[in-house]
Amino acid sequence: MTVDDFHSSIDAAPSDVGRRPDATTERSAVVVPLRQISPTYPNQRLSPERLHQIDRVFFGPFFREKYGTGGDKALENGRIRYYGPVQRANNAGELAGRRYVHEFDTMTGCTRGWHETLDRMGNVRQVRPERHNGMMGHYQFDSNGRYKGSW
Amino acid sequence: MEVDLQAVRRVFKDVLNGRMLREQADRWAYAVVREEETGVVTYSPPHERERIWAGVMYLYGIDTMKAPNAYLHSNDDIREAMASLGGVGDNLASTILRTLERPSLSGLATSVYEI
Repeated sequence: MTVDDFHSSIDAAPSDVGRRPDATTERSAVVVPLRQISPTYPNQRLSPERLHQIDRVFFGPFFREKYGTGGDKALENGRIRYYGPVQRANNAGELAGRRYVHEFDTMTGCTRGWHETLDRMGNVRQVRPERHNGMMGHYQFDSNGRYKGSW
Repeated sequence: MEVDLQAVRRVFKDVLNGRMLREQADRWAYAVVREEETGVVTYSPPHERERIWAGVMYLYGIDTMKAPNAYLHSNDDIREAMASLGGVGDNLASTILRTLERPSLSGLATSVYEI
């Protein structure tokens, strides 16, 4: 198992993007000017570039400002990952620090998140997912991304 | 839920003083993140939102370990992160300048600069 295989097994939860607890079916009309982008067709496969374009227009204010200050990446499978800043660890040997990663699935609206620990070469060496059942674990990988074990 | 910079700094201090476990600080921050997702968090004062959120996101995951029973972050790391948040009121100067930029209060500029 690799880091990428592991990421795909992390729980996802429905996103509340733009939803408010007091929201009702009838709301007062607020006109939000949208930037013009070319239309997307139902069977059109979205390239990461196209996904990025849509993300920047529609989802940016919700996710990028909160979770993506360290960058973001559109994946082939319609998901966008937002990377938080690396929180430095100055006394952790080969480990440089950790960052929070938030992933948004544009096809389902689900989100999930995990903490990654990076080594000084920028490799993900540990993943700590946020499980919705409250259980947490640390999953370790070697410098080549191969799964080593967990606790 | 209302979150202010003082509350965030208090959690940092409690962790450093040993009054709060890192695991508790992580869960406190996670609760804020969850509330933020549903849009019910207000930041006080609102213009400090960025600093408050940065503090919350540091605390979220503060209990990450590098090995069983060994935290990734040292207390010095945490102290450094807390310092980077700045103190409450550190933005006072910028708040005053922002206020002075409002045309209706431009007359105040002279009196403030004269103080």
